[in-house]
Amino acid sequence: MICDFLKTCCADPLKLLGEWFVLLPAMVLLLSAAAAAVMRNLIRAALCLTLSFIALGIVFITLGAEFVGFVQLLVYVGAVAMVIVFAILLTRPDQLAKSGSAFSGLGPAGGAAAGFVALAVLLGFIFASPLAKKPLSAPVSAPVAAIGEALMGDYVVALIAVGILLTAALVGASVLALEDKQP
Amino acid sequence: MDLLERAPIELKSWFLSLLGSFGVPQWILSVLSALLIIGTVIGVFLGLFALMSVMERKILARAQNRYGPNRVGFFRWRLFGLFQPVADGIKMITKEDLVPRTADKAVHFLAPVAMMIPALMVLAILPYGRDMVPAELDAGLLYFFAVGAGTEVAVFMAGWASNNKYSVLGAMRAIAQMISYEIPLVIAAIIAAMISGSLSPSAIVAAQGGFTWGFVPQWFVFTPWGFAACLVFYIGALAESNRSPFDLPEGESELVAGHLTEYSGFKYATFFMAEYVGMFAVCGMLVTLFLGGWQAPLPLLTIIPSWCWFLGKVCFVAFTMVWVRATLPRLRIDHLLAFAWKFLLPMSFAAFLAAACWHYAGRGPLAWFLSLAIVAVPYLILGTAFSNRFALSRRLYQFSE
Amino acid sequence: MTLQILLAISAVLFAFGLVATLSRSNAIMVLIGIELMLGASNLNFIVFWRFSENPAAMVGVMFAIFSIAVAAAEAAVGLAIIILVHRRINSVEADDASNLKG
Repeated sequence: MICDFLKTCCADPLKLLGEWFVLLPAMVLLLSAAAAAVMRNLIRAALCLTLSFIALGIVFITLGAEFVGFVQLLVYVGAVAMVIVFAILLTRPDQLAKSGSAFSGLGPAGGAAAGFVALAVLLGFIFASPLAKKPLSAPVSAPVAAIGEALMGDYVVALIAVGILLTAALVGASVLALEDKQP
Repeated sequence: MDLLERAPIELKSWFLSLLGSFGVPQWILSVLSALLIIGTVIGVFLGLFALMSVMERKILARAQNRYGPNRVGFFRWRLFGLFQPVADGIKMITKEDLVPRTADKAVHFLAPVAMMIPALMVLAILPYGRDMVPAELDAGLLYFFAVGAGTEVAVFMAGWASNNKYSVLGAMRAIAQMISYEIPLVIAAIIAAMISGSLSPSAIVAAQGGFTWGFVPQWFVFTPWGFAACLVFYIGALAESNRSPFDLPEGESELVAGHLTEYSGFKYATFFMAEYVGMFAVCGMLVTLFLGGWQAPLPLLTIIPSWCWFLGKVCFVAFTMVWVRATLPRLRIDHLLAFAWKFLLPMSFAAFLAAACWHYAGRGPLAWFLSLAIVAVPYLILGTAFSNRFALSRRLYQFSE
Repeated sequence: MTLQILLAISAVLFAFGLVATLSRSNAIMVLIGIELMLGASNLNFIVFWRFSENPAAMVGVMFAIFSIAVAAAEAAVGLAIIILVHRRINSVEADDASNLKG
């Protein structure tokens, strides 16, 4: 398999952009996610998280889900990452870093063990499943017009529900974060 | 005329076929083709940036009744000081690159890079002329805003890594401003997408082709909702690119220079360049969405190549931005945010509603007046409310006694 | 490129999120872990859509879009709660918010 792969690469490097290119952003995704999970410096962890959001968006785009990839970038990088960064700045991380450790009662070892067990179970199921051997089919795409029609057609109830949810979240978040007049 | 219209494309395919006749493999040719397009686009926009950096100073000088830079020349030829960017560039590169001792060095270094990449990437989807889109994307408009979101992260990185309270404050202000103004900006863009029924910029330009009565171009800006949305987009674009009167993230009188305080030399130049390229990109998007993109304003004038029209319109919008900078004073942060949330956002919703009514009322004269009413009523109400609230009155000095 | 490679990537991403959620003491880091896990689940939706028999139905894409919208709401409310807690007890450590402990 490796040999074939190298052969196609030498004959036509652009083929690389087809099937295997997705591994490149996926590696960036995993490395930055690992860094975000264990880094002590909160701001750097948030920046690594932003990088992993970007890499995840690129993975979506390379898998053919262009629209979802752009939405991922717009929502996560433009909004969620910025909100997290704001929260870190508003809660003054420098004072907290000095007091106590960065890990909770479970500790880094406990967390890593739990993560490892979960990973082992998941990977066991993934590699045992007969479905998982399925090779990549011809490139598929999700055209924007079709997504729009589906959103306004079959999924219109879900769309309205999400709209209500987002409005409720907006109002709720601003009410929660408002300065208390009488503590 | 047709030859001139297609000159850039023909030149590229001629060059590639020349290389192809020497037996260069196909994949190298396709990579080279992409690189040629990228190089041309980046070259044109960096050239525009250089021109803009001197023209802005000259226009500002003209507005303030002085000369502006007119000395730098090449040996004996002065050329109105047009060589100023060269001198600026040499100055920027030879300056010492200062990094504060307490700065987060890696993030401090990466911030200008993170600023430059999205600014250049958004140029990929603008339709520069007939059949001249570097990347024809189905969701091009979404791409523009998705990639543009990276700028906020870069501003935050710059502000935080400098480890300076003015920088952090400036970055927080910049992000608050960008997020607030992004909402009206996106809604205004959605209006154009909604009427043309596509998120692809070239389809939006194509929807603005043709002339009413043979001489009035069917650009979106000539409809009531389009005019309102265009103004909302323009104000949002000013705020997004941190231009005056919304340049308070880097207001030198209160924040030194905001997130740019601790940057010098080439890193500062990179920020400066990214801001101007981003400004040109958002001007290009404004032109694409509302000013008809590369379409000529009169049927007679279609003999001028489409890409000339596009660049001309972009330069015109950029000129108005300099004009605004010369005219208006800087806003205060609370006024700025109140303006975004209490005026621009309702106005963008009104324009949205007006566009929908215009579409469903048949896009005729009746629809025109209906949408005019829907835009004008909220404008009058909000405008009177605001002008009463911010009416100039005698200033009270509470603490001066 | 088979389905299992992509699923394994998303499983590893999920495990990183789980580690961050379970072991970090700062509530914001817990939230970052949750975001990573949500990203892993979105990746699964997209991967299964990519390998599905009928990609034109776009079920996976739709689910990912709605999941992103819900995740954005969750992040906003979660961070508002964290800021409120910080204002009350002057700490964002998840273990410090133990007023209801008997």
